Amino acid sequence: MTEAGGFGARATAGMAGRTYPAVTFDIDPQRVAAFAEAIGADPAGGVPPTFAAVYSLGVTAPQLFGDAEAAIDFAKLLHAEQEFEWSRHPDPGEKVSSQGRIASDTSRRGMRFVTFETETKGARGDDVCRSRALFVIRS
Amino acid sequence: MSEKRVTFTTEQIAAYAEASGDFNPIHLDDDFARSVGLPGRIAHGMLQMGIAGTVAAEAAVGGTRLRRLQCRFAGMVVPGDTVTFTAEPAGPGKLELRAVNQRGEQVLTKATAEYG
Repeated sequence: MTEAGGFGARATAGMAGRTYPAVTFDIDPQRVAAFAEAIGADPAGGVPPTFAAVYSLGVTAPQLFGDAEAAIDFAKLLHAEQEFEWSRHPDPGEKVSSQGRIASDTSRRGMRFVTFETETKGARGDDVCRSRALFVIRS
Repeated sequence: MSEKRVTFTTEQIAAYAEASGDFNPIHLDDDFARSVGLPGRIAHGMLQMGIAGTVAAEAAVGGTRLRRLQCRFAGMVVPGDTVTFTAEPAGPGKLELRAVNQRGEQVLTKATAEYG
């Protein structure tokens, strides 16, 4: 009488597949330098890889959090895992475009697990970065 | 092995909030953080990952060589905590990353990087 997926498991499709409009973002050199300084990197050392937290995840996650239908309870949200994969790193001054998508949305034991993926493309339309964030929303 | 030891401060967390645009009050306001069940304001997981990324970039001899970076945010970091970040070779083009606080607890787990 147990469901597939194990004891107490209950998976629903939720909002999986929802895609948000692409957002463009200027890799502003001053902002890059401030970011580098905050993480202890050389402010003159170019775009730190994890500046993807801004140009990829950072510009698209607010669309998810602001989506009333997705109903993410921000106060109970935990950023549980993060992955970035780069085809290349953007240049200072480059205009990139990022598009977010809910890749999966499941609930288990009163917790909701939302995987949010963002694809970032460069000024020439080429692949730059893929971000995968796992958010856990406590009940 | 590359290593960096960082004692987190409210100033560094505020600087990261400003530079990243992540102004979630759990990182900036003790009273708010406590109201949602946290011990007080906590560092951004992405700040921890950012520092781990600088250590990985050093081990990879340049951030532009990083191809992948991932981690699980396993433990909270509060102002005053000292975290030691390390990157160790784990095969060709692969690094294993660690972030351990002053009590010996891992604050990042499943942390790896790939470069090439």
